Amino acid sequence: MPREAFEHSIEELNARITAMGAATVDALQKAMFAFRERDLDSAKKIKKADVLIDMQQLEIEDLVATTMATQQPVAKDLRLLLCAIQMASDLERSADYAAHLAKATKFFVQDPQWRQTAMLEQMASIGASMITDTVNAFIGRDALLARQTSLMDDQIDHLHKTVIKEMVLLLGTRPDDAEKVTKFIQVSGYLERLGDHMTNACESILYMVEGVHAELNP
Amino acid sequence: MMQEVTTQPSFIIETKDLSIIYADGHEGIRHVSMGFQRQHVTAIIGPSGCGKSTLLRALNRMNELIPGTRTRGEVWYKGQNIYASSVDPVLIRRHIGMVFQKPNPFPKSVYQNIAWAAKAHGYSGNMDDLVENSLRKAALWDEVKDKLKKSALDLSGGQQQRLCIARAIALQPDVILMDEPTSALDPIAASYIEDLISELRKDYTIIIVTHNMQQAGRISDYTAFMLLGDLIEVGLTKKVFVAPEDERTERYLTGRFG
Repeated sequence: MPREAFEHSIEELNARITAMGAATVDALQKAMFAFRERDLDSAKKIKKADVLIDMQQLEIEDLVATTMATQQPVAKDLRLLLCAIQMASDLERSADYAAHLAKATKFFVQDPQWRQTAMLEQMASIGASMITDTVNAFIGRDALLARQTSLMDDQIDHLHKTVIKEMVLLLGTRPDDAEKVTKFIQVSGYLERLGDHMTNACESILYMVEGVHAELNP
Repeated sequence: MMQEVTTQPSFIIETKDLSIIYADGHEGIRHVSMGFQRQHVTAIIGPSGCGKSTLLRALNRMNELIPGTRTRGEVWYKGQNIYASSVDPVLIRRHIGMVFQKPNPFPKSVYQNIAWAAKAHGYSGNMDDLVENSLRKAALWDEVKDKLKKSALDLSGGQQQRLCIARAIALQPDVILMDEPTSALDPIAASYIEDLISELRKDYTIIIVTHNMQQAGRISDYTAFMLLGDLIEVGLTKKVFVAPEDERTERYLTGRFG
């Protein structure tokens, strides 16, 4: 196999995954900012950024398809390309959740009572760390980092459960806000799902590095 | 690795601690122990000089034709060690046939290429039937049925190779050994042979040495990887090509050496 051409494709793939990861983190942080500040203009920009992230995923898929067709990789090389497709898919879904979070801003824009976003911010912050570390684990072919990263999902899950409990309590005192409570739990759910997608990506990194399927953080 | 395959009882050929030593003392293969599944395709891969052809030739005692070559260990076929002194190598080669890299038809007619080999091995049945059946099994009949009396050397390279496969089939073997059977052919002719191998697996055990890893991936059920005379790894092709056990297999498959 002409290694040079293959290595060139992998370098490009690494660069594209890194860029997509950075764009997803950026979208998530900006979406959280927009949600917290009730900033509808910022929220609209996330939607545009999401379209670009969708394109990044397609470009990665094209690059993987071309590399498979022309280089016919096997073994570790094949697993790397399969992992790259999975990474791109999980990043794309994560960016979607960032966009959903931004879109939810409008539900709360007129209501000063809904300022309790600290836990969501914490979830988004852990989510952003998970994305960065997952991308680093992919680039570094680092199974240990992938395992460690997946553990962060526990913190997000715990926060999500706490949000649900608090919202249920809140509903007892403010029954008229049922719609907003539901929406708030939904937003928390987006961030919880984001953690699941990064865990999923970490599993595919383990498969890439070690060649065996493992379920992380079941 | 080895255990995964050897736990299955349906081996038609099994090598035990097999070493082949050439006249100059060089060990072509060293202490190879492995089994070949009945009615499956096993590919032997590895870099040049790794011993894959030596292993293949050891399976029907073809190495003996190279002066000074010594064999240690055993090759078991149908309950007997084919290297036992009582075994007739010619008979073994009838049951375990071979197809070579370069098509080597006899300079005779298409018909005679099949008939002559069968007759030489004592076939006394209906020769026309044998010729037709063998050519049909080799997926060549439709192309040559009107030119059975023409010289085999007038056929294309791909047709000549299929004729050689038909010739091997005519002896009603159990096992067909193939030593890079498509490396002298263009991609279209090679794909005919690959399709044929997939078809032949229903009736025969195929053991193929190939330099073409993609071909091994496409047509084999099991893959054995050899390096410097040692058997490094053998297992299901789908496993070896996706997640090999041994780092050396991984490095070879991904083009990092060889």
